[in-house]
Amino acid sequence: MPNNNDETLLRVEHLCQYFGSNKAVDDVSFEIKRGEVFGLVGESGCGKTTTGRSIIKLYNITGGDIYFKGVRIAAGKLTYQKAIAEAKENYEKESKAHPEKAAELKAQMEETIAQQKKLMAEAMHDQKNCDKEYSRQRVAELNAKYQPLLEKAQGKEKETLTAEYKNELRKAKKTKLVTQIQMIFQDPIASLDPRMTVKEIISEGLVIQGERDKKVIDEKVYEMLELVGLVREHAGRYPHEFSGGQRQRIGVARSIIMNPELIIADEPVSALDVSVQAQVINLLNELREKFGLTILFIAHDLSVVKYFSDRIGVMYYGKMVELASSDELFRNPLHPYTRSLLSAIPLPDPIYEKNRKRIVYNPLAAHDYSVDKPSFREVAPGHFVQCNDAEFEQYQKMLK
Amino acid sequence: METKLQVKNLRISFRTNDGKVQAVRGINFDLAKGETLAIVGESGSGKSVTSKAILGIQAANAITESGEIIYDGKDLLKISEDEFHKIRGDKIAMIFQDPMSSLNPIVKIGKQLTEAMILKGKARQRESRDNFNTYLKNLNKAMIEANAKGDSAKAAEINTMCKQFDKFEFKHTKLQAEYNNAFDAAKEVIPMIDTVGFELEKKAAKDATDRLDDIAKLAQYSVSEYVVKTHAEEMKRLSESVLPQYKLGQKKGDYQELIATLYRIRDIAKEAVQKPVPNFFRMGYYLTFSDKPLPDMPVDQLNDYLRKYLDDNFMMSFIAKAKAAREYTARVSYDNMRTAVETLRSNLPVFQKEKLDKKEVVAASKEMAQAVAAAVDPLAIVKDGLSYTFAPSIKSEVGIYFGAIHKNAMAIRAYNKDKAKHDRLVAKGKKPDWEVAAAAVVDQELVKQNIVNVINRMIGHYEQLLASADQRNYDEETVDSIDYLMENASGVVEKVTRRTAKERAIRLMTEVGIAEPHKRYNQYPFEFSGGMRQRIVIAIALAANPDILICDEPTTALDVTIQSQILELINNLKKERQLSVIFITHDLGVVANMADRVAVMYAGKIVEYGTVDDIFYHAAHPYTWALLSSMPDLDTNDKLDAIPGTPPNMIYPPVGDAFAPRNKYAMQIDFEKQPPMFKITDSHYAATWLLHPDAPKVEMPKVIRERIARMEKKRGEDHAE
Repeated sequence: MPNNNDETLLRVEHLCQYFGSNKAVDDVSFEIKRGEVFGLVGESGCGKTTTGRSIIKLYNITGGDIYFKGVRIAAGKLTYQKAIAEAKENYEKESKAHPEKAAELKAQMEETIAQQKKLMAEAMHDQKNCDKEYSRQRVAELNAKYQPLLEKAQGKEKETLTAEYKNELRKAKKTKLVTQIQMIFQDPIASLDPRMTVKEIISEGLVIQGERDKKVIDEKVYEMLELVGLVREHAGRYPHEFSGGQRQRIGVARSIIMNPELIIADEPVSALDVSVQAQVINLLNELREKFGLTILFIAHDLSVVKYFSDRIGVMYYGKMVELASSDELFRNPLHPYTRSLLSAIPLPDPIYEKNRKRIVYNPLAAHDYSVDKPSFREVAPGHFVQCNDAEFEQYQKMLK
Repeated sequence: METKLQVKNLRISFRTNDGKVQAVRGINFDLAKGETLAIVGESGSGKSVTSKAILGIQAANAITESGEIIYDGKDLLKISEDEFHKIRGDKIAMIFQDPMSSLNPIVKIGKQLTEAMILKGKARQRESRDNFNTYLKNLNKAMIEANAKGDSAKAAEINTMCKQFDKFEFKHTKLQAEYNNAFDAAKEVIPMIDTVGFELEKKAAKDATDRLDDIAKLAQYSVSEYVVKTHAEEMKRLSESVLPQYKLGQKKGDYQELIATLYRIRDIAKEAVQKPVPNFFRMGYYLTFSDKPLPDMPVDQLNDYLRKYLDDNFMMSFIAKAKAAREYTARVSYDNMRTAVETLRSNLPVFQKEKLDKKEVVAASKEMAQAVAAAVDPLAIVKDGLSYTFAPSIKSEVGIYFGAIHKNAMAIRAYNKDKAKHDRLVAKGKKPDWEVAAAAVVDQELVKQNIVNVINRMIGHYEQLLASADQRNYDEETVDSIDYLMENASGVVEKVTRRTAKERAIRLMTEVGIAEPHKRYNQYPFEFSGGMRQRIVIAIALAANPDILICDEPTTALDVTIQSQILELINNLKKERQLSVIFITHDLGVVANMADRVAVMYAGKIVEYGTVDDIFYHAAHPYTWALLSSMPDLDTNDKLDAIPGTPPNMIYPPVGDAFAPRNKYAMQIDFEKQPPMFKITDSHYAATWLLHPDAPKVEMPKVIRERIARMEKKRGEDHAE
């Protein structure tokens, strides 16, 4: 699907997520434009799920920034801490070399540290208060909308208007920016509470956001059920009464009801049967066209990712190694890991399969990073690869 | 081709609160040695139920309604749990889908790997010895009957020959085992040095102590009479200096000396691996019966010399006599088969009566069992499964038939009582919160039909054997007999100790692609990632060196690279060990990669059956089409052809073709009558009315045709490159 919209919905900058010494995600940057499907692939343990969960703020990130609709929703301290440590180290080195300038250097260092600390405090403020600010903004908007109306209104009209205003206000106070990002989980069995009916599951988000009108909730739930290909009668049943594909549809309905702008779909079809997989993929595609949804699609089945995504990022051990439009990535894979990954895809053709040669990726043999350190660079417009200078030139030649 | 496993008319149901779920509804297939059969289908199609039945691990509420699973002359559905214990995990192993639930969380990985090896090692030794002794005894007897004909001097000669064979065969296996140990060590050390050396050169290695320790040990093991011989002293010296040199290198930050040592070891090992291999079978004879020491000559010449020695003194006459013996037993067996066919035919009416007579049935079964037992050839290496399972099959079915008379009466009585109670409550105007469970009645007609089927199948089988009697090659079979003896003799010599088990476990772990196996050996399952756990499960399944490997969606939970590695691994092991594999999956890409033959299952039946090319290029059943076109490949851009709806409820299986409600090609007859298996080619069958001569011609869907054309073009391009 062509995507003509240039608005950046989500921007991830130098995202780092460490668990102790384990660098699950290490310096990953990418952008998702409104209305596109961004695929994230890589082997298990490469950090693709962690990236998704960091975006939805299930973790406090270690370093980097995440911007959603231009607002910083998450930030880490690591970058600033590094800068401070570096300044201190620099000062010690310099002051030994030039003892006469010690005082001047010290002042310099203190200035840098103060600056960085200020930035860090700002980041932490954003990280904590982005939702509050968003709801404050919404409240202000509501006030701007209703105040003039209320002043003008008379008698009964005023009463209903006041009630409406109060209702909206209560909801606005509970709104969070992050709820505009919703997640669809891999396991449709484990991600649905067995003690709740389908209606309770689907409407839970609405209720938490302050919706109290039962009629509204019912209508919304029925609408969602029909949207994902289930029927109204299903609302009163429990998850165990459904097949795997139907359960995943419930999961989709639960996330769509919040009117999200971004959906993080973490392996939404890998636990499903073949015939049902196609049903769920078609459903996601329809919804995407209908609502112009933006989707971060995390999966390990490359055929599905290729079919579904506009752009694809390839991750390897916490790093993004290649990022390009899906056609470009499959036509001209540059990074050796991507090539190894593509060579491993099984296709439904026996003769091709019997002759398929898998390319083995050994990072030690493939790169020489002892002198020249790699970074994430744009080799061709829109095609990024993790490489150093020598490889950069080599890749550019390959593209010609 | 040798058939390893036969599944005949298998029907399995589950008794549930809502009624009887018919999970498997009469499927037939067989599995040849060294072949991979893929079973494809959605969940609930009965593929896992079938595989669990083969392994004898069905759920408690499962009922086997009819059928046989024949393996190694036994019907797996009828043998005792004790007997099954010897087969399960040892001869037939399984890799499960969920690796976490198939590993014990509180036992270290190393222990889980070696436990079975040590336990089964002894049992296997005993079994090999039994096999060897029994077969040699049978051969001995048949040789005397065929050649001596009452001549006691000749008989005595044959007896000594067999004793001699026994003696030098053991010598041979001992020599061979010694050689294999050293050779494997030499072969293994080469790639290890390649990787460690490379890392040391780049100075990128983490701590390499463990691996270097391994290398040193392997280098020492490789020193042996026929492997590393000329450089034995040097190899010993080199291997001892590896670790000290590494410590020195760590201090200096320079590994030049160590790298030189390693590469020298590698060169010696390479040279040793490429050396010609002496023939230990012949050598065993020479060393046992010749007084002279081995002549000093190059291996090629030595092999020729030994062959001549063995042939002249022993082998020629032994083979001639063995061949005569095999022909003799085969002839006897054919004669008995003819009689058996007559006996079976004459007894058939007994089982076709309206009501069976117990006395008559028992007598007839006994007569038939004896006739069939007489027709077994004692020297046949591949056991004729049908003959062996005939008597137990009949016996158990007869038991079910007569047992049912009493049981059915009880069940109906219980049902009536329940129903009366229920009706009483309803009549009182109450609403009971329980329902009357259906009576568990055994269908005696079906049992009778099963017995007749078994007898008819036996007759058909014998007639087939008799018809192909003159196509047998006794020369080849005689060689097979000797190979069989050799194989079992080596089984007797192989001993599994704790140390060898650990070594083998670590080798297996390396084989399945686990880095740092020494460290991993002492870890617990929770310390492994999903892919790593699955590899451990595969290693455990392979540890017992099984005949048949059942893989139930082994790679569904893994990502592409690991999936690819695991599939390659299973494929390699299959080739090396002549493993027969049953591969259950729903990923058609994986099927294309792995399978030799494919069975597509839907709603408890096999709907299409053929070679992998038949299924992917000439698929004939609409369900296969639907499967093939519902998943995207790398060039798909259009909307996916999802199969609408869900599989049918198997408590009330549809009257006609089960797939009809979801099938866009369905015709009226599909809803009324089940289609039979139509034969398309000799290897390709499909159950769909579309193949009936009167049916309208329907072509394979466009998506599949386009894909085939596209892949063909792609292959052409790849060739051109």
